[in-house]
Amino acid sequence: MSKKTVTQPEAARDLSEQGQTPAAVSAGGAAAQQNGRNILLIIGREYKNHITQRSFLISTILILILVAIGACVPTIVQFFSVRTSSPTRIAVINNAGAIAGLSQAALDSYIRSALNGTDTTSHAPYAITSQTQASPESLQTQVKNGRLDILLALTRSPQGNLQFTYYTHADPSNDGNLSTIQTLAQQLNFLDSARRLGLTPSQTSSLVAPPAFSVVGTQQNQNARSGSQIVAGYVLGYLGNILIYMAVTLYGMSVAMGVAEEKGSRVMEILVNAATPFQLLAGKIIGIGAAGLTQMACIVLVGIGAILLQTPLQVALLGASNTGFLAIFTGLSIQFLLLLLLYFILGFLLYSTLFAALGALVKRQDEVRSAVQIPIILLVGGYVVSIIGITAPDATWMKVLSYFPFWTPMIVLTRIGVGTVAWWEVALTTGLMIVAVVVCTFISARIYRLGVLMYGQRPGLGQLLKLTRAN
Amino acid sequence: MSLTVEHVNKSFAQFHVIKDLSMKVQEGTIFGFLGANGAGKTTTMRMILDILRPDSGSITWNGRDVREEPRRNWGYLPEERGLYPKMRVDEHMLFLARLNGLSKSAAEKALTDWLERFQISANRKKRIEELSKGNQQKVQFLATILHDPTVLVMDEPFSGLDPVNANVLKEAFLELHRRGKTIIFSTHQLEQAEELCQDIVIINKGQSVIQGSVREVKRQHGRNVARLKLDNDPEAHWLEQLAGVRVTKRREDYIEMQIQADFNPNVIVEAALQHGGIISRFELTEPSLTDIFIEKVGATSLPDAPSAELPA
Repeated sequence: MSKKTVTQPEAARDLSEQGQTPAAVSAGGAAAQQNGRNILLIIGREYKNHITQRSFLISTILILILVAIGACVPTIVQFFSVRTSSPTRIAVINNAGAIAGLSQAALDSYIRSALNGTDTTSHAPYAITSQTQASPESLQTQVKNGRLDILLALTRSPQGNLQFTYYTHADPSNDGNLSTIQTLAQQLNFLDSARRLGLTPSQTSSLVAPPAFSVVGTQQNQNARSGSQIVAGYVLGYLGNILIYMAVTLYGMSVAMGVAEEKGSRVMEILVNAATPFQLLAGKIIGIGAAGLTQMACIVLVGIGAILLQTPLQVALLGASNTGFLAIFTGLSIQFLLLLLLYFILGFLLYSTLFAALGALVKRQDEVRSAVQIPIILLVGGYVVSIIGITAPDATWMKVLSYFPFWTPMIVLTRIGVGTVAWWEVALTTGLMIVAVVVCTFISARIYRLGVLMYGQRPGLGQLLKLTRAN
Repeated sequence: MSLTVEHVNKSFAQFHVIKDLSMKVQEGTIFGFLGANGAGKTTTMRMILDILRPDSGSITWNGRDVREEPRRNWGYLPEERGLYPKMRVDEHMLFLARLNGLSKSAAEKALTDWLERFQISANRKKRIEELSKGNQQKVQFLATILHDPTVLVMDEPFSGLDPVNANVLKEAFLELHRRGKTIIFSTHQLEQAEELCQDIVIINKGQSVIQGSVREVKRQHGRNVARLKLDNDPEAHWLEQLAGVRVTKRREDYIEMQIQADFNPNVIVEAALQHGGIISRFELTEPSLTDIFIEKVGATSLPDAPSAELPA
């Protein structure tokens, strides 16, 4: 009983401390303060609960490992292909005498540069040996038992035309080298014929010189874009779509599951006494959204880090740098990334209000999956439309559909990535989305309020509409 | 100074769940809310807590509509218990207490105090799901009272408790009563109501059947119970012919009957002697709440009445 005498004055003091705050400010101010405080408390709980979940941690780590490995795959593939593929061994026998007036050494260097380009290292695709006046029989045997890959014999017909004979160990119908060698043969034949017709080397070169051919784009902005920006645009378009699709399905599902769990475990009954449905809804969505953003940020950072590592890695492994990846990043502007973030957040908010309302309507957690099918179908629709539209970003139908708030994030991101979007279109679609988020939150909070304590049958659509209007 | 429910009606779709219910709970009393399953107890409690809104009628606390009362004045123990299973006890309790408006330090102080009182301090850092059933019940009760509410609304607080834990809870009730809290609880364990409550209401199918102080209800009921055993005439069919007597139960060792308040019980003894009976037991008792409850509710309340299916 001595305990009681201690606690009573304490409890009384606590009460008076608490009592002062609402008395000091106006009733509305106190309510708003408590509103914000409660939302923050719920956000904190949701965030902590979500990121400390074992399944969340494990999946994040697995995704990070996959992303890191995925970023290294091209380098690794390149590394192994260089290591394992030895050059194609080709022997050229020239029994045709001087070709196009070239000396044997000049002919050899012509063939070498035609096949290997400027690559003079031992990694070059072709290892070429050339012989004159040799009998092909011994070399043919070498081709037969695989010590040589290709034997090319040059002869002249009685009329003086060049003749090429191609011996190969490979299946001729599936021989990647054949077309390369054929091209070489045509070039040699052309030069040789021109020589025999008595053309001078300058006449010959004027014959093969490419014509002047210039490309003029008539779209205004098209000219302003470099090749790397266009590539970056496509990457952004796809990436934005995939990110939004992933975020909404993953975290939206978490929201629906969380609401259903609270309802199923009946903790909701206490929560609705302590906080308003709006506070609960907002806290849950923002809390899980923040956890989702944290996960996404980790993935993106690790992804960028891993990609940036590729250059030093390639230099170390291959001795040559390949700037293909970096080109994409230098092509991305800050504006792109900010818009990606904006639409990402708005898209998540819009869909997760629906997920929360639907989660509040089910009886048990295992019914969530079937309950959320409508927003999922809506989301898949937006995804499909923007993937189709990536080839026609400036088409009228894409412009019109981008004003549909549920599809705005995906379609506008695609259009920004690969086409042109005026600033007022961004402002207008963003405004429409904000309106849609507010309307959906309002409707969802009502459904939520009524749904969370309803353990009977799932109400029909008509009943739902009635519920949202009543009360 | 009271909680007043006046002419409240509530319907869910076509079901009229609460019909013109009025009741009054005096401040600082323990109030028993009795009724069969589906009688509308939970619905009424939720309306008192402003989780549901009545279709008509008013619910006021000290003259003010309950909608305007700050949330932290109310503590609610729902019938279906539930907490976040993965959260630690202290985290969970602090979260709820702060959600109800307590500052962090005040919440921690209250938590330490109550954990000690319930002798579960050792479980402070455990996850809710790791606790035994009895300790989960205690923690659930803590969640209701930690923010020091003025009015406690408890839906079936004694259901599922073993006798030891029921006793701990009963002690906590009396402690809160001494602190001047108003406690409203629903139950169908009538002994508990009889033991704890000053006032009760019995509702059936959303309507108030009887209300008032326990003593008053018993007196209003206006009947006493007599138990008689005759060694040589266990059936004693002549009892049925006595005016003012109604046989209610025939047991192996006695016959129980209700007699009107103004009926002289000597008449029964005289009649027994006249019939040559050898009396081995004759006693007069007050009716228990159980008797009143069964008489008032039992006849009309069918277990599968549609109102029992409602989300209430």
